[in-house]
Amino acid sequence: MTNGTTLNVPRGASRGPRQFLFGTLALLSILVGCSRRSKSEQKVVELSIASDGDLIAYKPDVLTCPTGALVRLTFHHTGKFVSARHDWMLTYPDKLDALSKQLLDTDGVFAKDDPRIIAFTPLADKGGTATTQFVAPKPGDYPFLCSTHPEDMRGILHVTK
Amino acid sequence: MKLSKLAASLTAIVLSLLVAFPALAQLKSPDDVKRGLLLLVQVSNDFKRQIGAKRFERVPHENMEYMEASEALRAAVKDEPADFKAKVETRLKAAVAAYQKVSDMSATTPDVDKLMAEHAKAVTAMNSLFDLFPADLRPDPNAPPGGRGGRGPAN
Repeated sequence: MTNGTTLNVPRGASRGPRQFLFGTLALLSILVGCSRRSKSEQKVVELSIASDGDLIAYKPDVLTCPTGALVRLTFHHTGKFVSARHDWMLTYPDKLDALSKQLLDTDGVFAKDDPRIIAFTPLADKGGTATTQFVAPKPGDYPFLCSTHPEDMRGILHVTK
Repeated sequence: MKLSKLAASLTAIVLSLLVAFPALAQLKSPDDVKRGLLLLVQVSNDFKRQIGAKRFERVPHENMEYMEASEALRAAVKDEPADFKAKVETRLKAAVAAYQKVSDMSATTPDVDKLMAEHAKAVTAMNSLFDLFPADLRPDPNAPPGGRGGRGPAN
C-alpha cells in the first residue's frame, strides 16, 4: 500500500514548486488508484448448503446474498445410505416450472448453456462436495432445485439490495 | 396379599409389553427412526411417480434406493432390544420383498394400473412395518414429501 513516505524528497533537494508538483502528482495517482480499486473490488460471499442427510431436501433451504456479489457456493451431500445423487441449480422464478418439468422428463439431463439456469454445481455422490460460483442477479427471490429431484428438492435464494 | 399379587401381575404385564413393543417405551434414536421411515416413504413415492409417468425403466433404480433406505432404518434400531429388532426385520423384509415384486413386474408387465395395484400392496406392507413405531414418528405413506422450497425443513 502506498503511504506518505513516497512524497518525501531526498535530503538536500530543493523544496518549493517542484516538491509541490511531485506531491500533487503522487497524491493524484494515489487517489486514482484507490478509485479504480474500489470499482474492481467485488464483494465475495461464501455460501454453504447441504442435503438433509439422505432425505430429498436442502438444509438450509433458504439462502441470502447481496446483489452483484461474487457468490462462491459449496454444496455437500450428507447422505449415508441412499445412492441418489444431488446437485444445486439456480433459476429464475418464472422459469422454474418449465425447467422442473424438463428435468423430470429428461431424468435430470440439461444443457449447460440453458439460459434459464443462472448457476449450477456438478452432481455430488453421497458424502461428496460440489462447488460453483456466480454473480448474484438483481434483487429478488430466486428458486434453486436439484436437477435429479426437481419437484421435491427445492429452496429459495434471497438476493438483497 | 391379593393386592400385592395384583400389583406384581400388572408390573409383569407392563414390563413384558415394554420388552415386546419398545415403541411404547422410549426408542433409543427416535430422530433416526423418524428419518428412516420418512426415507422409505420418499422412495415409495418415487416408485409411484415413475410408474405413473410410465418410466418403467426407472423402477428398478427406485427399488435399489428402497433397499438402501431399509439399511437406514436397520441402523436406526440397531440399539433396540433383540426381540423388537427381530419384529422390525421381519416386517421390513416383507416390505422390501413387496417393492421388489413391483420392480420385477415393471420389466415383465409394463402396465400402469397393474403396477399401481402392486405398489398399493407394497404400501400396505410398509404400513405394517410402521405400526411397530409410535404414531408421532410415522409419516403418511401416501403423503407427498414434506415442506420444501423455502417453506421450512421437513418434519
